[in-house]
Amino acid sequence: MDPFYAALSFYRRLKYEECAAVCTELLEKSPYDQAVWTLKMKAVTEQVYVDDIEAEEEGIAEALMDNDTMAQVARPGTSLRTPSTEKGGPNQGLRPRTQTGRPLSGVVRPATQSGRPGTMEQALRTPRTARTARPVTSQSARSVRLGTASMLTESGGPFIQLSRLNLGKYAAQGNIAKPLFEYIFYHENDIRHAMELAVQATQACQFKDWWWKVQLGKCYFTLGLIRDAEQQFRSALKQNQKVEIFLRLARVYIRLDQPLSALDVCKTGLEYFPGEVTLTTEIARLFEGLNNIPTSIKYYRDVLKEDSTHVEAIACIGMQHFYTDQPEISLRFYRRLLQMGIYNAELFNNLGLCCFYAQQYDMTLTCFEQALSLASEEAVADVWYNIAHVAIGVGDCNLAMQCLRLCLSADSNHASAYNNLGMLEMRLGHRDQARAFFQAAGSLAPYLFEPHHNYAKLAEEMGDLQTSYIVIQKALQAYPSHVSSQELLQKLQKHFAFM
Amino acid sequence: MPEEGKMPALKEYISHKGFLHHEDIPDYILCKPRLMPLKSVTLEKLENMQKQAEEKMKRQHMNVQKS
Repeated sequence: MDPFYAALSFYRRLKYEECAAVCTELLEKSPYDQAVWTLKMKAVTEQVYVDDIEAEEEGIAEALMDNDTMAQVARPGTSLRTPSTEKGGPNQGLRPRTQTGRPLSGVVRPATQSGRPGTMEQALRTPRTARTARPVTSQSARSVRLGTASMLTESGGPFIQLSRLNLGKYAAQGNIAKPLFEYIFYHENDIRHAMELAVQATQACQFKDWWWKVQLGKCYFTLGLIRDAEQQFRSALKQNQKVEIFLRLARVYIRLDQPLSALDVCKTGLEYFPGEVTLTTEIARLFEGLNNIPTSIKYYRDVLKEDSTHVEAIACIGMQHFYTDQPEISLRFYRRLLQMGIYNAELFNNLGLCCFYAQQYDMTLTCFEQALSLASEEAVADVWYNIAHVAIGVGDCNLAMQCLRLCLSADSNHASAYNNLGMLEMRLGHRDQARAFFQAAGSLAPYLFEPHHNYAKLAEEMGDLQTSYIVIQKALQAYPSHVSSQELLQKLQKHFAFM
Repeated sequence: MPEEGKMPALKEYISHKGFLHHEDIPDYILCKPRLMPLKSVTLEKLENMQKQAEEKMKRQHMNVQKS
């Protein structure tokens, strides 16, 4: 068989490594064969390609030291940084929060993994925990690590020496320039060179090709020149309407912290592409970011009408049902995910919890056993934490304490576990130990109101009113409408006024 | 009918069946059970790729050390 034909066939069958190997052999024989060269570029790019709209991550530098911030204190409901306290948002008493203080979401994506921290202090503290290693800037994030790693493994130096490449020559050749750009952008991750190529190529086609404008916008976006990126995407949209461009433009506005503009962009996109799943998902995510969960769920339902196997939508709706006291409906959604072939610790853990709260006790422990056997090191702590809840539910205090200790041995920063352990110690009458646990939980997770409330209550009972007064204020900061904390504060205030 | 002034003191009666009044006694609070968020396809792919890249680098490093 003709080796080039074989390489093409490998490429078509998604066997990129074999394809690249055949191309390398061919290139040794005839180094100037452009067809083979291009094919190898494409194969190598495909190996490391990830959907970069989804994989976008924001680093500390972008989140906190950006020049594009419009207002430090945005009006409620117009910013993703200060989640609005409007009614209809999730009740903190029911739905727990993540490490960055946002309500728990049904799915983790690279972008939600870190979330936007409120203050510098919080941002710098977050990466210290083992769970979320927040990149310092998005440029030092995974992409670069991937890029350098793939370069290191190349025997005989890199495939293309970018610094020696005559970009002007290739920019004029459309069919080579595009794969070359993708190779530089995704594989080498050398944004500066990629941008140079994009600039020259746009000029070469007299600004008539929307594709190059989008690529230029991508480069600007990665380099943090957000406003320039916006210009490029807008200009591309004038020439041609594509779902990708709408999504990227929406991301620009999200980076600028203008969720309402992002919503507008997505809705315009939906006029061109009615019922488009990715755009609807984006809208749902935006509403979730704005703490408007009911609207978010409405859009996720729209997604499911178009695509009934959309994992993110199913998971988010399932989670919403669980935290609004309908575990049996939530169970149905998670079971659907299981039927679709998802098989991991997270899913079995959720199934176990849903079964327990929907009173299907026979399935609960089996699910948790499965979850434990599948769990990675990071996930195992949460599974033990949830098993402890089951144990507390059936009244087995010893088992609950053992589970919580196992949870803490897997993740020593698990604040909720400290709090619950403290509560169990309290039941056994060990006040000093309980206080230590509440204190630990409070300092690890200032966004949780439970440990603050418990610590304040304990301090009040022990007669340490001053501490109680200080701590209860922290609890109310985390959850202003918590009745029990408000009552305790009033009681303390009355007491101090009386003195 | 008893005469005025001699009426026996009425005793209050609290029903033990069903609630008449319920006082909410504040208690220590447990943190809520956590459903775990599933990983998106992209995140899984990213993590896989990173793992593979790290393994490759390790292998290469070993080879370099051997030779």
